[in-house]
Amino acid sequence: MSERLERLVNLTATLLDTRRPLSLDELAERLEPSYPEDKSARRRAFERDKETMRELGIPVSVETIDGLGGEAGYRIHPDAYYLPELGLSVDELAALHVAITAVPLEGADARAGLRKLGGAQGAGVPQLAHLEVAPALPDCFDAVARRRVLDFEYRGDIRRLEPYGVVHKFGHWYVVGRDLDRDAPRAFRVDRIDGAPVSGAPSAFEPPPDTDPARYVRDDPLSYGEEAPVTATVLVLATRAALVVDQLGSDAVVERRDDGSVIVSLEVVNREAFRTWLLELLEHAQVLTPVELRDEVIEWLVRQSASASGSA
Amino acid sequence: MARPAVRVGLGLGMSGRNASGGARLQRVLALVPWILEHPGVSVAELAERFEVDATELERDLELLPMCGLPPYTADRLIDVYVGDDGAVSIRLAEYFERPLRLTPAEGVALVAAGRALLAVPGSDRSGPLATALAKLEEAVGATGGLAVQVDAADHLDRLREAAARGDQIEIDYYSSARDEMTTRVVDPIRVFHALGAWYLGAWCHRAQDGRLFRIDRVRAVRPTGERVEVREGASGGDDADLVYRPAPDDLRVRLRLAPEAAWVAESIPVEERTERARGRVDVVIAVSGRAFLERLLLSLGPAAEVLGPPEAEAIRAEAARRVLAHYAEARRP
Repeated sequence: MSERLERLVNLTATLLDTRRPLSLDELAERLEPSYPEDKSARRRAFERDKETMRELGIPVSVETIDGLGGEAGYRIHPDAYYLPELGLSVDELAALHVAITAVPLEGADARAGLRKLGGAQGAGVPQLAHLEVAPALPDCFDAVARRRVLDFEYRGDIRRLEPYGVVHKFGHWYVVGRDLDRDAPRAFRVDRIDGAPVSGAPSAFEPPPDTDPARYVRDDPLSYGEEAPVTATVLVLATRAALVVDQLGSDAVVERRDDGSVIVSLEVVNREAFRTWLLELLEHAQVLTPVELRDEVIEWLVRQSASASGSA
Repeated sequence: MARPAVRVGLGLGMSGRNASGGARLQRVLALVPWILEHPGVSVAELAERFEVDATELERDLELLPMCGLPPYTADRLIDVYVGDDGAVSIRLAEYFERPLRLTPAEGVALVAAGRALLAVPGSDRSGPLATALAKLEEAVGATGGLAVQVDAADHLDRLREAAARGDQIEIDYYSSARDEMTTRVVDPIRVFHALGAWYLGAWCHRAQDGRLFRIDRVRAVRPTGERVEVREGASGGDDADLVYRPAPDDLRVRLRLAPEAAWVAESIPVEERTERARGRVDVVIAVSGRAFLERLLLSLGPAAEVLGPPEAEAIRAEAARRVLAHYAEARRP
C-alpha cells in the first residue's frame, strides 16, 4: 500500500519533471518502487496507477514518441497540472471555508478543492442550506468553463448544447445555453440527463456578451416547451387565494371577488405543467379560459372519475 | 533530517481506508505546495488546515523523504525537515511547487457553495466571499457561469430572528399533505434552505415533536411573548423529514408508472421499485396524507396505473368527481 503511494508520488514527480514523453519501458527502468518484471503485469500496474491519477484530475498526457516506431509516451504538462495563482487573502480563504460548511454539497468535493487553495482557514459555521449535486453537474460546469459543446441524452432525445451556464433554481440544477439543433435558448434539468454527457473540444464557442444564465431558466415552469403560449385564467377560491397570489405575484390577479376568491391570469406553454400546477390545488381552483384548456382539464378528470368503475 | 540512503518500506499508510491510495495522494499533492510556500508551519496547524489527525499527517511527512526523482540519490529526494518545535519545511520538491488544478467536481462544489451563501438574503455582496468567488471563477474560466437562486420568503426575516432570539411563536401553516390550514404554537430552533425552499425546524407544541415547516407555507407569525424552553438535543425536525418519512401505518400504494411518469420514482421516496418491460416501472409508495395521493394520481392520470389497493383507485375517482363538481356548478357564462 505505501509502496504504491510512494510510486504514485514518484510517477507524478517524474512525469511533471520530464521535458519529453517517457515510454513505459523508460519509466519502469527509472521508477522506484519498481514495476513488476513481467511485461503484462507491468502494463496492468501502470494502467492502474494512471487510472488513479486521472481520477484525481492529474492530466497524464499520452503522446507518440518520435523515432521509437510510434510507441506511446507519457508526461504531465506543468501548465495543465499547476493551479494558477489565485492570490486569495486569509479572509477570502476563511470565507470559502465558511461557505462550504454553511452549504455542504452532498457528494461533492468541496473539501478536497479547498485543500488545494490552502485548506480550512478559520472556523466553519452551522449548516444553513443544502444543495444536492446531480451526477452530470461537474461535466456541465466543466463544459461551461471551457466552452465545450455538450452532447447528452435527455428524456429519450439526443441534445447538443452550447452551454453558457449552470443554474440552481427551484431546488434543481439546470444547464442552460443554445440548443444547436433547435438554434434556440434552452434550459435542461441536470438530474434528468441520462448517463454521462460527452464534451467536445475546448473553446468551441463564445457565449453572447453579458449572458445571465439565471435568465435562461424562466421563473415559471409553465412556460417551458415548444408550443405556442396561451393565456389562461384560473379561479382560485378564498381557501387558497393567498397562497396562489404569493406564488404568482399580485400582478397576476385580474379580479378579486367579495367572497375572497381571486381570478388569476397566467401564461401557459407547457400544458402538462399547467395541469399539474392546477390539480395541486384540487377543488380549490378551476381553469376558466381558454375554453379548450378548460375542456382538456374536464376531459382529463372525467376519465379518472370513471376509472374505478371502468376497471371492474 | 530523515533521508534514507537505502529505500526501505516502512509500512506507512496502514489506515487502509482508501485501497487505491487516491485520497492520500490527493492530500500529499496539496500539502507539499503549502509547506513549500509556508516554511516553518507547525505540524499542528497543518493537521488542522488539512483536516487530518496529526499522526496521519506525520505519516505523510515520513513518506516524502522516500520520494523524488530518479535515480533517487540524496540530491534528488524530497528533503523534509521537522524541527524540535514541530516546525516543518521542505526542499527539493520544486516540481510540486503549485497544487494540482481543481477538478470540475471540486470547482463546481466550491463555486456553488459560495454562490448559494452569497444569495442568502442579508449576505455581504461585496465582502471577502464575493471577492474570493470572483478570483476562483476567473481561475477556472467560469466567470458568471454559475448562478444559485435563493428566494426570499415572506416571513423569513421574522422566523430567523425568532430562532436566533429564542422567541416562541404561533404560526398559521398550510399543510400540503393534508390540504388544510392549521394554527400551532412552535419553538423555533433553526432556519435553513434546502431543495429550493426555506424551512423552519421547530418544536411543535401541537404535535409534541420536532417538525420541519416550509416557510413559504407559513401564512402568519405571531409572538406568544414566551421564551423558548431549551430542549436537550432538539434539532426541530429531522433532516430526513425534508423528504417525507413514512410511518408504519401509512397507506401503501402500488403503482405502475408509464415511461413518461418514471421520474416519479426519482422524485418521491419509494419503498420498492421494479423495472418492467417497455420502460415501465412498478413502485410502492407510502402515502402521508390523502391529499398527497389525490394530487399525485390526478396529475399523472393514465401514466400511473393503480395496482392496489382498490381503495387508492377509489380515492382517485372520488377526487376527480369532487373537482369536477366545481366545474359543473360554475359553468362559464
